[in-house]
Amino acid sequence: MKQPRILGAEEIRIEERQPPPSERTKPHKWLSAKDLEEFKRQEKEGYELYISKVAEEKMRNHSLHFAEMQKEVMGLLLGWIYKNGGKEYSIVKDVVTTDLESSSVHVRFDRNAFEKLFVSLEEVGFNYLVVGWYHSHPGYGCFMSSTDVYTQRSLFKSSWHTAIVIDPVNKEIKAFYLDGRAIKTRNFAIYWDEYENPYYGTRVKKRELRSDPDRVASSQ
Amino acid sequence: MPLRVKVRNAESGATVEMELEGENTIDDIIEGAAGYWEKDAGAYVLRRGKRLLRGQQTVAEAGILNNDELELIPDPEGG
Repeated sequence: MKQPRILGAEEIRIEERQPPPSERTKPHKWLSAKDLEEFKRQEKEGYELYISKVAEEKMRNHSLHFAEMQKEVMGLLLGWIYKNGGKEYSIVKDVVTTDLESSSVHVRFDRNAFEKLFVSLEEVGFNYLVVGWYHSHPGYGCFMSSTDVYTQRSLFKSSWHTAIVIDPVNKEIKAFYLDGRAIKTRNFAIYWDEYENPYYGTRVKKRELRSDPDRVASSQ
Repeated sequence: MPLRVKVRNAESGATVEMELEGENTIDDIIEGAAGYWEKDAGAYVLRRGKRLLRGQQTVAEAGILNNDELELIPDPEGG
């Protein structure tokens, strides 16, 4: 029997695009004072990672939901990579997950729940790249364990791949990436799209009440 | 009659076009694609739409058709 034969291959082209503007970004509310300082220091030059408000809330709520049970949670970061002035950055637009095999110190997708994950991928509604993964360390702080490092080296080798680690008990979050063999932390910003801005439209016009009695009567 | 399929790597967006025989297994596809990208084949699963393609199934058993698009999905483990 012949083994599968590769006939051709194609890579993606990374396009230039402006990252979310600073008026639509903010630091994550669980950053430590030191990380917040780093966030502010990097604000002018921009970040290598932008996470949508929607994706951030999903990850945080997922980790909080299982925090009391002392169970780790996990999912995939979906988004895309772009360049700005030749510098690469990634955007996380959404996250997906499924049922998990999980304990306080270990997590992976339930072997029988991949199809639930694939349904989410089919329904995500945009062309995506898996730009990394997230998981939680309930009560243990944010770091990369040896298992996490192995995962990063086997699956997420590119410099733009990110591992988000969340500690929902201590309310901490950190982003990590692989730089050669070394694991480094990465500053990131939370962004929201214009239509998600709670202050979108700065003026509210007072609504006039209708004074047509016939109209009121007919609607009763 | 050999089949041609496209395999997309979800974590890089890269694609390979592969020629398969009906008796090739899903593991053969994963190993072929992961090997091409120098990845660890054991850390991925393969999907066709919403369906998981299981390792020991043959291409014929899995119902893979000519010009199908398959996607290699990372299967991470955290600790």
